[in-house]
Amino acid sequence: MVSHSLLKIENLFVKANDKEILKGVNLEMRPGEIQALLGPNASGKTALCQVISGNPKYLVTKGKILFKGKDITRFSPEKRADLGIAMTWQWPPAVKGVKLSLLLDKIARKKVELKEADSLLEREVNLNFSGGEKKISELIQILSLNPKLIILDELDSGLDLKRLERVVKIIKEELLKDKKVSILLITHSGVILNYFKPDLTNVMVNGRIICQKKDYKKLLALIKKQGYEKCKKCKKGF
Amino acid sequence: MKSAKNVKKDFNFWQVDNRIERINEDKGLIILPSPLAWEKFAWLREWFKEKPKEGYFIWVKKQLDFPLSACVTIASAKVKQSLTNILVIEKNIKAKANVMCHAAKNDLAGTHVAIGKLVLKEGSFLEYNHVHKWGEKDLVNPDYQFVLEKDSRLIYNYQNLFPAKKLNLVNSVIAKKNSSAQISFVVNGDNSEISLNEEIVLKEENAQAVLKLRLVGRKNSQITAKSRVVAKAPVKGHLDCQGLLVDEKSTISLTPELVCENRMAQITHEASIGRISEEELNYLRMRGLTESEAIDLIVSGFLKA
Repeated sequence: MVSHSLLKIENLFVKANDKEILKGVNLEMRPGEIQALLGPNASGKTALCQVISGNPKYLVTKGKILFKGKDITRFSPEKRADLGIAMTWQWPPAVKGVKLSLLLDKIARKKVELKEADSLLEREVNLNFSGGEKKISELIQILSLNPKLIILDELDSGLDLKRLERVVKIIKEELLKDKKVSILLITHSGVILNYFKPDLTNVMVNGRIICQKKDYKKLLALIKKQGYEKCKKCKKGF
Repeated sequence: MKSAKNVKKDFNFWQVDNRIERINEDKGLIILPSPLAWEKFAWLREWFKEKPKEGYFIWVKKQLDFPLSACVTIASAKVKQSLTNILVIEKNIKAKANVMCHAAKNDLAGTHVAIGKLVLKEGSFLEYNHVHKWGEKDLVNPDYQFVLEKDSRLIYNYQNLFPAKKLNLVNSVIAKKNSSAQISFVVNGDNSEISLNEEIVLKEENAQAVLKLRLVGRKNSQITAKSRVVAKAPVKGHLDCQGLLVDEKSTISLTPELVCENRMAQITHEASIGRISEEELNYLRMRGLTESEAIDLIVSGFLKA
């Protein structure tokens, strides 16, 4: 049977530092779809992003990750980047002595011009960058990778409202105009959802996706009122 | 007189194996084989008791409008060079020198031994960019002394990204009143045995020096670096020694030493040896670089930082 999924995660169990942090995650995304992953701190959201992107720090002990129908569970991070998976880090590390312009020269699949990034190009990657500058640096890097799936990990953290709106505008103009790119939004607060209006919103608690809803507004309102603790007890997740 | 443009194109001094290939002098610029200079100038015999065998003598007597360039090449197998190199910058002259010592091929198994003396006379300035590029079987042993007279200033950048099998590098600096030295050693060990010994003697008041070491240990390299700053007057000095280990079999040993003989002197040091950060490596791999490309980029950044 031909798969129409861009990304399909089947019963994924993952360990990091000998601790099980994902405990049977299932997730499916179609091309052009925007999905959100909500959850409290330490629920496993960032771990899931890192696992999809192939960070070797995380060990898949069970389950599969399929991308465009291909099993990429054991693929290296660079091979996944080649296939079109790109992720913005919430706290990207600094790469001392390496200018952002040099890194872009090395990684770019397509040339991207972003005036917000101009002042960062001759600086060392992420070194002493403010929260907003880090997001711009991350954004120009993933745009230059010409990705098919973008994972945005806590995009709104460290950004004031004006900058957040600008970053969202760039993503919409550069990536969403042709509906060819899928986005997985990771957030614990949910503020960012109002800007992207996801097709589907997932709730992750304690290493599992326990709820999926199309109506993100209703879901956010419920979580705001009852907190994630109630999600654990709710039987109407899917 | 040669135009500055032509001189820039050629080396001012070029030695290949044990023969001098080229000498380009200019107005105010005296360049001689060092044995000949030793015979000609009595004051050189005070610096070197024995007559040099080979090497260059460069005396910058007037302001130049181009950078000096010298090159010493090993082009044949098993050549042994025993050089005495002398560079003198006259009073109040500002000069830049680009010097390269290298092997033309990777497997020549040559020996490059060099004794050097560089003298910056009162009020002069020298930017000395020294690049080494060796083959994997070469033995290299340079021993340079820098004398900084009153009010002079030295910028010395030593870069060795293609190290010899065995590199034993010795440098000493004597800094007199109001002189300053900014010294940087960038060495990328690659299956090499490397020993660095630097001593900076801040001899007279207001002398200043900063010594920066950036050492990378790759592919079973063994690197030791001993760096010493001696303060004999109210002076300022700083040692900044950093090592990066890329593989499990390499070792780096850093020994910064401060000797203070004057209570008004301020001398400090920082030293660290680290491994490549897994987080940085994975970050770059997730941007599409292979593991080896990511390591090369991190190493090149470390050497520039």
